[in-house]
Order: sequence, then structure tokens, then C-alpha cells
Amino acid sequence: MSEMKKIKNLKEFSTSADRFEGANLLCPGCAHSIIVREVLNATNDDLVLAASTGCLEVCTAVYPYTSWDASWIHIGFENGSTAVAGAEAMYKALKTKGRLKQPDRNPKFVAFGGDGASYDIGFQWISGCMERNHDMMYVVLDNEVYANTGGQRSSSTPIGASATTTPAGSISYGETKNKKDMMGIMAAHHIPYAAQVAPNKWKDMVKKIQKGFATEGAVFINAVSPCTTEWKFDPKDTMHLTDLATDSLVFPLYEIIDGHELNITYRPKNVVPVEEYLAAQGRFKHLFKDEYKYLIKEWQERVDANWAYLNRREEARV
Amino acid sequence: MAFDKMELRDIEVWDGNFAAAQALRQCQVDVVSAYPITPSTPIVEGYAKFKSDNYVEGEFVMVESEHAAMSGCIGAAAAGGRVATATSSQGLALMSETLYQASGMRLPIVLNIVNRALAAPLNVNGDHSDMYMVRDSGWIQFDAFCPQEAYDLNFIAFKVAEDHDVRTPAIVNQDGFMTSHTAQGVHTMDDDTAFGFVGEYKPMNDMLDFEHPVTHGVQTEEDWHFEHKARQHNDMMTVVPAKIDAAFAEFEKLTGRKYNQVEQYDMDDADVAVVCMGTSVETAREVAKEMREKGIKAGVVGIRVFRPFPFMAIADALKDVKAVAALDRSAPGGTAGALFNEIAGSLFNTDSKMLLSGYIYGLGGRDLTKKHLVDLYTELQANADAGKLLTKQQQYIGVRGPKLAYL
Amino acid sequence: MATTGWDEFEIGAMLRTFEGEAGDIAGTLQEDRNYTENSSFTASVADWRIEKPVFNKDFCIDCQFCWVYCPDISIISRDKKMIGIDMDHCKGCGICVEVCPTNPKSLLMFPELADEETEIANWPAKETKEK
Repeated sequence: MSEMKKIKNLKEFSTSADRFEGANLLCPGCAHSIIVREVLNATNDDLVLAASTGCLEVCTAVYPYTSWDASWIHIGFENGSTAVAGAEAMYKALKTKGRLKQPDRNPKFVAFGGDGASYDIGFQWISGCMERNHDMMYVVLDNEVYANTGGQRSSSTPIGASATTTPAGSISYGETKNKKDMMGIMAAHHIPYAAQVAPNKWKDMVKKIQKGFATEGAVFINAVSPCTTEWKFDPKDTMHLTDLATDSLVFPLYEIIDGHELNITYRPKNVVPVEEYLAAQGRFKHLFKDEYKYLIKEWQERVDANWAYLNRREEARV
Repeated sequence: MAFDKMELRDIEVWDGNFAAAQALRQCQVDVVSAYPITPSTPIVEGYAKFKSDNYVEGEFVMVESEHAAMSGCIGAAAAGGRVATATSSQGLALMSETLYQASGMRLPIVLNIVNRALAAPLNVNGDHSDMYMVRDSGWIQFDAFCPQEAYDLNFIAFKVAEDHDVRTPAIVNQDGFMTSHTAQGVHTMDDDTAFGFVGEYKPMNDMLDFEHPVTHGVQTEEDWHFEHKARQHNDMMTVVPAKIDAAFAEFEKLTGRKYNQVEQYDMDDADVAVVCMGTSVETAREVAKEMREKGIKAGVVGIRVFRPFPFMAIADALKDVKAVAALDRSAPGGTAGALFNEIAGSLFNTDSKMLLSGYIYGLGGRDLTKKHLVDLYTELQANADAGKLLTKQQQYIGVRGPKLAYL
Repeated sequence: MATTGWDEFEIGAMLRTFEGEAGDIAGTLQEDRNYTENSSFTASVADWRIEKPVFNKDFCIDCQFCWVYCPDISIISRDKKMIGIDMDHCKGCGICVEVCPTNPKSLLMFPELADEETEIANWPAKETKEK
């Protein structure tokens, strides 16, 4: 195991030499690349990366350009996880057989995928990788929508969000289904480490990523990634939206170790009402009509209940 | 860092699956990422067992679907090492998306397909509909007619696929059950000789070379995609055939067993010929000999390399034949069979006046009997004598009910 | 490269980021790396911008919020100091301005064609908090 990169504070973090490049084609203000940077900059070790088809992939490897400074592979929409698992298997094989070109390196294997690629189409592939406990990290860039194909609902889209396949209309308030509890499902694989992260809380995130890198076995990371295009907010407000997401507890930050030990890693000093989070996004605009205001109340109740549940889990130490 | 060598007799009694598994062991495949499906499962089970018994070093990743199996193979191959898997039928169908990705990324994976019918209706027995389904996927496709060939062609597949001028994945087909589960005598190579033939894997564009980071699997739109696909096709057409011939020649030197892209049996003076693949080749060879005793100059052409299709070699093999039957073991779904079309294409702009008829046979493992072939050769001779086709261009044989004939 | 024929590039649509050996990339700053023409580092998205950030170092406290939250690796920080903006890669999203904690801000958005020196000369004064 290589030495962990020392990142005491932001100044120290800022000395990182990025291994992800600009002039990629992600939208201005896209949170994906902020997350990717925080993940990659959390280590100085070599990286073997994969991405499932999605915004990140189509915007960072458009021939003849690549935005990646480490080895990177994309196969399809559903199999970014397995691509990296295959590479990890080869690493193990060549290590055993003494055929690694640079045997002294300690590569980290990381796959990125959007929520469509992860919660939906690639769900089985990720489950397989977690169950087999490959020494890899899977990072969901969770923007709660199929952004790359133009804003269709995924199983991560929350109740009340207007998406192109669940549009709000005269008799519809948009998405009617609950967001899938991916963290719970992944933790149920009893993987050594699962964590929910947000790029605004960079220190919490880097700590978790480093913990993940130091973990032998499969690591699952769910990162909230506010989408300026589909959530409908001004690109300059990406971090503000992320703050609202974490501080309203819509995206609570926590980790689950070995599938059972849950730790809440961030407790906002001032909890923001969910209403403020919703009000900042065009996708929830219709909820502020009189006939749908009850949904905002229900939203708050759901968030409160989930927070209470996480707290009970943490207290129970089970 | 040490594994045990396995002592083999000169001739072992192996079925096609075990022969392929032994080849994977002797090639010292680094990663097998696989998912079980009848009838191909014993190949990857074989690798797993060899690994458990320390006869091979590598990683066996038992994934959760065939799609994931090939996805894992692609990741492993891009990482930089020798990779193989096996599948059949529905598994291949699920896997098929990734076949195009593997070939487009020029990753030299070897895939054993134990040919089996495609549902519906569900069927576990041998036909060639899975082989045909992926014929345009950009993979080299070899076809083994018996367990010996399933063994030999695996070595040749690695040798060709991994060549840096080729870097194209390869499929080794064998008939479900008829080859995969039928034990025959197989001439073996000892472990060192076998591994010596394929050699150490030579990495190229490997992700695990941290001094040379590489991006695999880019997006190319209308301004680049065509050129990349053209390159792939060009290499299949111009580079691969010669590499296959070279591998065949080297293999013959090593073992005495000679392979050809187009196998010809009794073709020197043949008036009538059957073109087919898989175990049917052996049946046809036997019948052709019997027909010759009856005065019909019958021959057999077996397609050893289905992709790249040996267009010119086929034209050459058939140029003096009067009547030819193309035997397709796959339901063509509304057109002529694939072999019929390929053969017709190869002869169309030549001087050949050959009469070509197509036969659909053996779907879902239905036996192709000697009687079928006797009737078929008789029909071909009648065509040859009449100087024209006396039957429709496409007929079904071996199916119950009223005669099916079209075109 | 737009005129490259099918026979002129690497098989498999494979791309390399660096010329020769990469070395310790995580320990090598961008200006010291030997990028190929295929790295998007060598490309520009400057024409995406309608507004651009202007950096006034007089007020900067080097907190590095702009560095960590910039989606486009366009805040150039060296030795823990913010030294400028990579205008080839900045898409003009404005996040850096939003997260800048100084008063007045050390980064502000201006129309793409605005003159930087003029804007810095006319930088707004410290805002007093209204009680």
C-alpha cells in the first residue's frame, strides 16, 4: 500500500497536479468535473479509469481529443464498472505472473457513471462488481436524470421533478416515484465501504475517497452532481445548489462500513428547509402552485424521516 | 509464480469443450471472464478447474451475465494480457453489443462459441444461427469441425489475433454437442510446445503501462467514424488472411496438421459439391466418397474461416464445379442463406456457370443424415446433367410437413 | 488532423495523452508535461464564453475555493497561491466568482470583450453589510 496523499487543507490540496483536463465538452458549471477532480486529486497513485456512456464520457473522449491524463476506457452504457473490474483482474493476474511493466506502482481502479448508467441500465453490472468485491471504486455522478440524452427520468429522479418522460403538466406534477436507495442497496452487498459525497464538502469527500482508496475491495461512492441544464439553474449557482442539497439534508453525507456500520459525516449547523432547495430549481417550479404545495410538505417529511432513520442507524452501531 | 505442467498423452480422448479448455490452459490465458451457458460451459469450467489445481496461472472472473463476461474481457484485454471466454446462443446474443466494441477497439480476445440455436422456441442444441448473428461484428471467425480442430484452432486464434499487425479478436466456433460433447481422439502438444507456438503475450496500448496512459473507447461522429471502420475492414481484407495462412503454415510445421481457409475434400475433379460448416463437413465427406462409388464425382468444401470470408479461395475452389449446394444451418429470416449469398457473391463476376442451390438444414440440432446428403448429391447431379436448376434455389431439408422450397 | 485518411492513425481509435514516457504525472504540473495534440489541454473552449472572469489579486486571500470548485481546471494555483485564470479552458460559468469569499470579491464576471485593466482600475469597493 502506497502512502496516502497528505491533504490537510485546501491550500495543500491546491498543489495537486490535475489529471483531468479542460476544454472538455461538459456544460459550463457542470458539477461532474468538480467531482472527478476531487476524486482524482485525492491520490498521487497511478489510475486506471473507466466511464460508462453518459455526459462525462461523451464530453471527455471525443476523437481526436481526450481529457484524461491516466489510462481510461469506455465500452458501453452499462459496463463501465465491469470494464475496470476486468482491468483489475488483469492487474492481479500479471502481478501474480510477474509481468507488470512497472511492478512498483499501486494503481487505483475507478469507474464513473451517471445515475442512468448506475441506478438503471448498469445496475446488474455494478452489483456483480460489488458482490465479487473487486479492488475498485465505483463513483456515481448522481444528477438524478438522463442528462446526456436530454432529460428523461431515471430511477434516481425524485418525486415531483419534471423530466421529459415525466413532464409536469396540467394534470401531472412530474415524477411520481421515489428515488432508489442506491446507497442502501450497495451497502447490502456488504462491501467494505460505501459513502455519499458532495463536491461542496470537498474535505469530507476527499477523506472518503482516500478511505476508499485505502480499502482493499469494492467501494461505492454516490456523489450528488447538480445539473445546471436539467435541474434548471444558472451555471454560476452549481455550488450554491450543492450547498442547498447537503444542508437541507436532501443529500445527507454519510458512510457505511462493511455494509452495517453507518456514520453520518456532516451535520449542517443550520438545516435549510427543503422548500429552499426545491425553489432554487426549475425542475420543481410547478410544485409551488397551490394544488401541489402538499408535495413540498411531503418532501420535507420524507427528508426528515430519512434523516431520523440515518441517525437511528448510526446510534444503533449495527 | 509457479504452476504445474500437465503430462498429456500424444492422443487424448477429449470432447470439443475439453479440447478448447486444454488449449486455454496451454496458452496460459491471463484472464477468463465468463458466464455459464449450455453447451459451452465446460470450456470455462475447465479453465477454472485447471486454475484450482494449479495447472494455470491467471484470474477467473465468474460474472453475472454474458454481457458482463465480454465487458470484463474487454477491460482485461485493454489492460494488457491474454484473454479468453466462451459462450453460446442466447449468451452470445446478450454479449453481441460488446463484440462490436471489442473489435472496434482492436482488442485480441479469443471467444469460443459452441454453436447453438437461438430462441424462440428455446433450444440448447447445435445450429449456426449464433455464429451467423455476429458475422459482421468485426471478429475473425474460425470454424472447427471436430474436437481436434477446436483444440488446434484456439492456438491459431491467439496467434493471429494477438499479432500487432492484426489486433483483432477471434472466434473459434464448434458445433454444440456434436463437437462440444463428443469425445474423440485428439492429438496433443506438450505444454511447452503449445505455449511456444503462441508465445508470451506482447502488450500493445496497454492501460497498465503507466508510463504511456492511453484512452480507449472514444466517441467518433460523422467526421471520424467512417475512417476508423474503414481501417478495421481494410485490415480484415488485406492483413488478416495472410496472417492466418502464415499461422496455418507454422502450425503445420509444428504438428503436421494442415489447415486451409477453405478446406477441400475430393474437389480436384468434382462435378458436384456441398459447401458447409461444422460437423456436417465430416458427414458430407463420407457421403461424397460413397457417391463416387456410384459414379457421381462428388466433393466437399468446408469453410474453415468464416470471417474474413475467403471470397477468392471459394471462387477458386468452385470454379470448375457444375452444381453446388450451399448448406446453411440457420434460419435466414426472409432471404437466402448466408453461405448461399457469400458463394453467389464470390462467383458472380467470374466465368463460372456453376449452378448454385441453397439448403436450410439442421435447425435446433436436427440431424443431417447421410440419406439427406445422398438425396442432395443426387439432386445436384441432376442439375448438372440438365444444365439448369431443377429445383427451387432454396429448399428446407429434414423438416416434417409439406416440402418447403422458395426462390 | 481533419484531413487525416483512414490509413493515417492508430488502430482502435486509441488516443495517447503524452509524448514519450509520462513520468510522475501526479507530481508534474501542466506546464511541465509533454502533451500530445490529442490532449484536450491543447484545445480551447474560449469561444464558449459570453462573460469572462477577471481576477484582481489585490483582494485575493488564496483560499483556493475557486481552484477546488472550478469545473474546468482553469484556476491556476501554484505554490498555494492563485496566480491567474486559464482563458483557453474557462467556459465562463461564473462559479469562481460565486464561491469567492473576499469583500470585495477578487473575481468578477465581465463581458467577454471588456478590458481587463480598465475593470481592475474600476474594481468595486468593499461592501458594507446592511444591518
